[in-house]
Amino acid sequence: MTEVIATEEMKQQTRAEAILKGFQVNWMNLRDADTDVSGKILWQHNEDMSNPDVEHEARVPKRILKCRVVSRELNFSSVESMERFRLEQKVLFKGRCLEEWFFEFGYVIANSCNTWQSMIESAPESQMMPANVLNGNVVIETKFFDGDMLITTSKVRLFYI
Amino acid sequence: MGLLSILKKLRSNPDKELRLLLLGLDNAGKTTLLKQLASEDVNHVTPTAGFNIKSVLSNGFKLNVWDIGGQRKIRPYWRNYFENTDILIYVVDCSDHQRLEETSQELAELLQDEKLRAVPLLVYANKQDLETALPASEVAQNLGLHLIRDRTWQIQSCVATDGTGVKEGMEWVCKNIPVKK
Repeated sequence: MTEVIATEEMKQQTRAEAILKGFQVNWMNLRDADTDVSGKILWQHNEDMSNPDVEHEARVPKRILKCRVVSRELNFSSVESMERFRLEQKVLFKGRCLEEWFFEFGYVIANSCNTWQSMIESAPESQMMPANVLNGNVVIETKFFDGDMLITTSKVRLFYI
Repeated sequence: MGLLSILKKLRSNPDKELRLLLLGLDNAGKTTLLKQLASEDVNHVTPTAGFNIKSVLSNGFKLNVWDIGGQRKIRPYWRNYFENTDILIYVVDCSDHQRLEETSQELAELLQDEKLRAVPLLVYANKQDLETALPASEVAQNLGLHLIRDRTWQIQSCVATDGTGVKEGMEWVCKNIPVKK
């Protein structure tokens, strides 16, 4: 019985590795998504931020903290198909979780290129910490899953400039 | 009318999540329409080789719009995204006379799908700025919309590239969001 479980686990791991190998985050950006500003890009990054081996860094203009609606856009491609692709994203301040987001994409087509944009209306300004307090202390942790299987974890540390 | 204002209308709905599904043949203008709704630059839209999702969050409410690529090789995957759809938006390039039959067939198949049963349908008769575009009434006839009995539907002329008619369609969407049990 334990052997059966072990084989099953190995299969899962091989599958996760195959998905990770063909998985790539092509770009990410942050926009001011307030309706009358017409989606001005505040920050864009064109390197793969899904690489789990390094902590990535993002230098974001301070004024993003003043935006009423912020949009985060992520473009990714996958060689393998996935049944139930989903994300768990945490905003960590000095390692403590301030906010948590869950999103389920569902099916991912093999050899597809996809974008996910989420627009978030911000909390009232009074609840917001100032840029100098947040600077360098905020990490966005994104976990990519297929169903319950973790594919990779990406960490991006934010600097407000 | 932007995506945020659609979401605001949802606040009277007990269900906290709304899902719009945007389908149509390739080059119909789905992605452009979606960008128009988010007030984004529509000049550099390329064919969608998968899906684009916009999710809007406000006060615990969530609006998700799924724009799935329309190329023939992608269409078999459309079904994977039908579950829990609140409104189906079907986009037609009215200047593409040659593929009117094809788009009509794809729509007929969607309407027969059990997972999309009774889901309200909005058809955008797009590209009305082109001289060769058929008027919405003629497109409606070609699609056989008047034969639909099992759901509410609406056809709306639009020009996705400059936003003409997009707002009117979305107003209809807001009024026809089904209340889930």
